[in-house]
Formats: sequence, C-alpha cells, structure tokens
Amino acid sequence: MGTDSLNPRALSAQARGRAAPAGSQAGIGLRAQHHREILQRRPPVGWLEVHSENYFAQGGPQRDILLDIREHYALSLHGVGLSLGSTDPLDRTHLRELSRLIRDFEPMSVSEHLSWSSAGGRFLNDLLPLPYTEEALAHLVARVRAVQETLTRRILVENVSSYLQFNSSTLTEWDFIAALARESGCGILLDVNNIYVSAMNHGFDPHTYLNAIPRESVQEIHLAGHTVNRVGSREIRIDTHGSQVSEPVWALYRAALRRFGHVPTLIEWDTDIPPLEVLVAEAAKADLVVEACRAVAA
Amino acid sequence: MLSLRELQLSFTTAVLDGSNAAISPWIRDEGLSPSARVNIYRNNLHEGFLKALALGFPVIQCLVGEDYFRQLGRLFLTEHPSRAGNLHHIGSPFAGFLRDQFAATPYSYLPDVAELEWAYQECLIAADALPLDPTPLQSVPPERLADLRFDVHPACRLVSSEFPIMRIWRVNQEDRDGTEIIDLRQGADHVLLRRNDDAVELHRLPAAAFTLLRSLSRRATLGDALEIAQAVASDFDLAQTLRHFVELGVFTAVHTT
Repeated sequence: MGTDSLNPRALSAQARGRAAPAGSQAGIGLRAQHHREILQRRPPVGWLEVHSENYFAQGGPQRDILLDIREHYALSLHGVGLSLGSTDPLDRTHLRELSRLIRDFEPMSVSEHLSWSSAGGRFLNDLLPLPYTEEALAHLVARVRAVQETLTRRILVENVSSYLQFNSSTLTEWDFIAALARESGCGILLDVNNIYVSAMNHGFDPHTYLNAIPRESVQEIHLAGHTVNRVGSREIRIDTHGSQVSEPVWALYRAALRRFGHVPTLIEWDTDIPPLEVLVAEAAKADLVVEACRAVAA
Repeated sequence: MLSLRELQLSFTTAVLDGSNAAISPWIRDEGLSPSARVNIYRNNLHEGFLKALALGFPVIQCLVGEDYFRQLGRLFLTEHPSRAGNLHHIGSPFAGFLRDQFAATPYSYLPDVAELEWAYQECLIAADALPLDPTPLQSVPPERLADLRFDVHPACRLVSSEFPIMRIWRVNQEDRDGTEIIDLRQGADHVLLRRNDDAVELHRLPAAAFTLLRSLSRRATLGDALEIAQAVASDFDLAQTLRHFVELGVFTAVHTT
C-alpha cells in the first residue's frame, strides 16, 4: 500500500461516488481551472472526464479535490501520454500510475488514443498518426491486449485528428480501428470532431468512416471545436479543443447517434478554456440533439 | 518500405531536429507538401512544450519576458526533449540547463530561481504523510539525542542560493504589481518549501537551521548535523529550531538507532 491509504477521502469516494452517468446527460472535460467551481455549483452535467496524466501525483491538493469531486460525479480517465502505438516498450511506470488512479477513482471508463508519441525514448507528447498497415495493426492489437491485461479492464481507444497520411498505409483508418476493436476486444471512443477534421484534411466522406465502425464497439463519443488554418494555398483543420462544436460536427453527431444509439457523449475544451457555464451549455446542446434524435426515431 | 519502428524514429528525428528531408518521401502530398505537414506537428510540439514549461516556471518567464522565454525554451527542447508521456517531467533539467547558459553572467541568479520553482512543482505532487507526533521525543534520554535520525516529510524541499531568490519569487507572484525592486546584493536566501493541505508554503530559514535540516534530510544523525550547523553559527539554538520544524510538520518519523 502506498502512503495515499492515509487519505480518508480515497475510501469515501469509492464508497459513495457515482458509478454511471446521470440520466441521458452529456459530460464535460474537467480542467483544473474549474475544480472549485464544480464543487461549489455542481452543474447538471452527466459526468466528468479528466486527463489521467494531470493526476499522476503521489498526493497533494489536485488529487484531493478530484476525490471530493468524485463523490458527486461519475468520472472517466482519458490518457494522452501512454504512447499506445509506439514501438518503444510500454512504459510500466506510466501504467502503474494509471492503475493507482483507477484504484482510487473507480472510473466509468479508461481511454487512450489510436496514436503514438515517442520513439527511441524521445517524446513529442502529441497524438501522432500511424501508418495503417498490417504490421501496425498487429502491433496495436498486442499493445492494447497488454495494457488491458495490466489494468485488468477493457480500455477505449479514440481516433485522432491527423494532418498527414503515410504512403505505406494499405488500410483505411476506419477499417484499422474496427479491426483493432474486433481483435483486441477494446471499445472505441469515437471522436466525431476528429473524424470530421481528418475527413476534410484528407478528402474522405466522414459517413463512410461512421458506417464502417461496428455498432457495439462505440462506448463513448467526443465532441470538440477545431480551427481552420490556411497553410500555403490549402485549408487545414486543426484539432484545437479551443472553441464551440462546429455545425457540420453537430450534423455528423446526429448521424452517429442514429447509427450507434445513445452513447455517453463528452464535450472537450482544453485550450482558451471558457467559463464553466459555456461548457455546461455545450453539454446541454448535446442533450437536446439526443432528445431530437429520439423524438424522430419514436 | 520502412518498418513501423524505422518510420517512428525517422519522424521523431525530423520533428525534433528540424530536418524534414528523410521523412518526407514517406508522406502523401495530397495538395500540401509533406514538409509543410511535418511542420504542423513541429509547431504543435513547440507550442505544447513551451506552454508546459511556462506553467512550471512562471517566475522565470516573468523575469526574462515571454519572447526570450520562448527562445530559451526552444533551445532547452533541443537539448532536453521530453522523456516521458507526462509533460510534467520536462522541467526537471531546466535549472541545470539555465546554469550552463548563465554561469558567470549577471543573470546567474536565474538557475537558482528555476531550482526554487521546480522544488515548488515537486512539492505540489509529492506524497501525503502524517507529520511526526513529537511526544515520544520528550522521553529520549539526553545522552541518546545525538544519535537520533529523522525522516523528512516527502512534501518538503530545500533550496539555497547566494541570491535573494525567495524575495524575487515573492515579488513576481500574480498578486503583485511588478514594481517592487530587489537588490541582488541583498544576500542569500535559504528556503524550506513545505506543502500543507492546500498549498506550498515557502519559509526563509537562517543559514544554520537550513544546514541542520539539509544534513538531517541526508540521513545525518542529530549530533553530526548539529556540529555542522554550529560551524555556520556558533550561537545556534537547536531546541528552538527543532520546535519550529516540528510545528511546520517537517518530520514524519524519528529513529533512535
């Protein structure tokens, strides 16, 4: 046992924390700026998602306040640093930290990205695209299995935005992630904004992507804002998580709901973080889209 | 065809070392040159790295200004790229890097301020532990006192400088207006950082008390630590100093052997 067993709040969170999202409400990404306000105001959002690495602490106030928050909200752990697709060995220290977080916070889901961020021990700390080859697929399947065995739970793997494609790719990204889910048993965290961004950057139909994803594998949906940048004579969309969800992404979200049913949805916003009520309003907007889709279906 | 490993090594080298030539043939053009595409990722790397560095070293950024901080940060990145998936760790070699940059210049206080800021960051995420209950200390026979060894709280750090780094740190906090002037010749600051429940507190210690605590944190016996402290200040008051440390929750345990 670590020294954190001294912290009485670790136990109470496990005893009383909520295990599942409330009703049909969308969740929001939780960033440190909003910690205290969340506790004071307890806004009506379905659940909260944090970046796992932000809480890789032995102790201290950040962890403590998240334990307090956990008593009132279900939580998901979203990793950005495991470098799942890297050919470097899996970082066992990183996995140990993640295991500790899972033990202390009992998250409703644990997710990572279909990407890599390091080679030869040097980290770019970014979500870098993979070449979609049989070799890469076999590697990812083995890595996801190893992570799931270490954590003794299923993880969700999220598609990323990309600004380039490797010419060695022999598979499409959608066939790649679908095969990964099938062969490793992982779930898919479908980032609808990322599908749209990559579709625009690489010129494919985002609905082709959605339609290739096995219905039962999608366990969570992400929505976020992106920016349109001009590079030379080309427009490139960059996944910035710094603005409201764009109209075409809302439209694609409706298509995703029709295909995958009502999957827990999260609003991500990591840069130029707005006041909490703006995030809560985005989540409420997602709830309205879900209701409208249900009404049409009924 | 490159293997996945070769591709990743080549891409990482391109982005970090600034040369796109080797990786470009492996990237599709699609109306935008492979090189321009790699540049997007290099830009992401720089922005993410500099943002994380600024979060860890706000006082250094304040002292040198944002533009020069970015310049320093980019140079730092080429010498000390991130070695972990958690960006928090990038700050660890920053004080040493600044020491190499500014040795024997009028800015040689900067590395010491950076050391203080890194100690602050370490304190924030260090383990929780219960402070020492001093009661049993009172029953230690006087002849055994010199043999005592102390465990220092995991959320404590010690930083010492010939410059007034704690005063520099204070006047560069967000709640200050930035008009206060610190004379670098004001003399040394010996700083104890200790995280309590919510925040990291900085305590400026007399030189002898700082020396005592540093010796104890390196597992010296109280007798040996006292001797070194008395060499710093012959009138050193051990009882008062220990009381102060116990009150601050600096120790977690005491060992009599």
